[in-house]
Amino acid sequence: MVRPNFPVRLGAAEEALINQLKFAGADQAAERITVAGLPTRRVESYHYTDLKTLLRAVPPMAQPANQVDVPALDLPGSYNLTIVNGVASQQGTAPAGVTVGTVRGGVLTTRDDTLIHINNGLVREAMSLDIAPGVDQIIQIARRIEGVAAHVADALKIFVADGATATIVETFTGSDAAHVGNHATYLALGKDAVVTHVTVDLSGRDTSHFATNEYHLADGAKLRTLIIHAGSDLARTHLYPRMAGQGAHADVTGLNLVSEGQHADITMETNHAVPNTSSQPLFKSITRGRSKAVVQGKLVVARDAQKTDAKFMHQGLMLSDDAEILSKPELEIYADDVVCGHGSTCGKLDEDSLFYLLSRGIPKAEAETMLVRGFIAELVDPIENEALAEALNGIIDTWLLAGK
Amino acid sequence: MTTPVLEIRNLHARIEDREILKGVNLIIPPGEVHAIMGRNGSGKSTLSYVLAGKEDYEITEGEVLLNGKNIFEMGADERAAAGLFLAFQYPIEIPGVATMTFLKAALNAQRKARGEDELKTPEFMRLVKEAGAQLNVDSDMLRRPLNVGFSGGEKKRAEIMQMALLKPSLAVLDETDSGLDIDALQVVSKGVNSLRDGQRSMLVITHYQRLLNHIVPDVVHVFSDGRIVESGDKSLALKLEAEGYANYGGEAA
Repeated sequence: MVRPNFPVRLGAAEEALINQLKFAGADQAAERITVAGLPTRRVESYHYTDLKTLLRAVPPMAQPANQVDVPALDLPGSYNLTIVNGVASQQGTAPAGVTVGTVRGGVLTTRDDTLIHINNGLVREAMSLDIAPGVDQIIQIARRIEGVAAHVADALKIFVADGATATIVETFTGSDAAHVGNHATYLALGKDAVVTHVTVDLSGRDTSHFATNEYHLADGAKLRTLIIHAGSDLARTHLYPRMAGQGAHADVTGLNLVSEGQHADITMETNHAVPNTSSQPLFKSITRGRSKAVVQGKLVVARDAQKTDAKFMHQGLMLSDDAEILSKPELEIYADDVVCGHGSTCGKLDEDSLFYLLSRGIPKAEAETMLVRGFIAELVDPIENEALAEALNGIIDTWLLAGK
Repeated sequence: MTTPVLEIRNLHARIEDREILKGVNLIIPPGEVHAIMGRNGSGKSTLSYVLAGKEDYEITEGEVLLNGKNIFEMGADERAAAGLFLAFQYPIEIPGVATMTFLKAALNAQRKARGEDELKTPEFMRLVKEAGAQLNVDSDMLRRPLNVGFSGGEKKRAEIMQMALLKPSLAVLDETDSGLDIDALQVVSKGVNSLRDGQRSMLVITHYQRLLNHIVPDVVHVFSDGRIVESGDKSLALKLEAEGYANYGGEAA
């Protein structure tokens, strides 16, 4: 590692992280922060989310907490697991076809990213889930940070077997304190597996929420993700889908819902590694008050990955004049026979649409809600499980109502 | 004397610095169908938007009474609940909002505003089916997002179907014939005519006389340069069709 000529000035957050990483035996990760500090806007991938400025304090590592075994979403018949303050537990007997266990160490592939180094450095044991064909129940994993302000790094490793179908929902909640959550999920889809993976950040506003989701898709696997940021003041989710087998397809979707003072960031890097794969990343951001929503989407197509079909799209809806929506698409294509594209749009609620609804007698607040729900429908409608779609619409409605 | 359904007194309106309506006077008694004919750009559509409550226009003078009530004290949604319906020349496509969801929201919002109970789903479904049957609006159209991917004819049929469902006391039809072929024009006209019940009034805005063969008006008004310049019976429409608008001044369209 090359040391810069001038040592960076380290803040309290960085000092705390360095000590925690050293205590966990993650000397390399500690050293990186000592040398470079938290990433600033001068680091390309953090240009719009300057962690050094935004993350001023990191609380002590979490202590085990008393568990409150209530799942965040009411999904009839779901199989519920919890990871509270980093400690995993299962409730009741796992349904046939689901095996719950633990694996040692972190789950994420090493990349040049500080949050990933921190997670891998601090996680000693990850929850593991093996899902065989024939599981009908939704699997809900409630990841919570309870008690006094705490730093939690936890991890989950999921294998969905060849030919299996699974719907996996992760929620992030906890007590109302200045927590820092750094969560990792590694999800591998076997051949022809079909997986819906939904994550929802519903943390308290004082929490800083970081998550990294890595996906590995084998031949013919189909993935749909929906990442919703609707809680903490600072949220950033990394998505790394890898199309590793021919015929793999990923609908990578996400939604930033931000209000006054909030900052939410979805940063995706999709890797098309083999021929004949496709992906359709679609993100939406809705802002109100003085807030900021960021979506960065990079499509990487390997030299051999001919016939890749991938299109990144980010659509922003501004409900106030003071918000910022930032969009950064990137294409890195080494193959020569591909269809790849990107697009971004941003605007306010359409006046003509609003007038049309008003002219039919629908009051303004209700008409606006209808239009916003209409804007989001493209993300929620493809979720096949009705109870889940309804629960997600409920989260969105709650957010909308909170702004009225 | 019975209160007119619509009474417009010396209405002036402008958009930015441009005055478009320059003193419109019009009275429509209950049950009558009035047609407004005029060349493109004469201000016909502006009149319909001003009545419905579009915010782009500034009312500089005059007043409009709907069943005796001043509509400029009401928002667009309140005017609708008070009995005003505008059939749009270009109905708006709204992705993500199912037609059925929209219809239910509109109907129940109006009922609520009038202090009536909201409709239960089976009752609502029955009404929609009834209104839809006559206008060939099938369940497939109702399942689609509002107006999205509808053909020109489907959009106009859907507008009249909304009118049948919402039962306004005054329907303003803005160029309802534009973009319709003969068959669609007949379906739409039949739908409109079936809503003429001796009480409901209509203001039919059109460029061509063609529509008025199907929806026969009680009174025809000629609109030119932001005001009504002549009124007469349905024969006036035929005269206009034969002679054009040239006699009414201004530039040819």
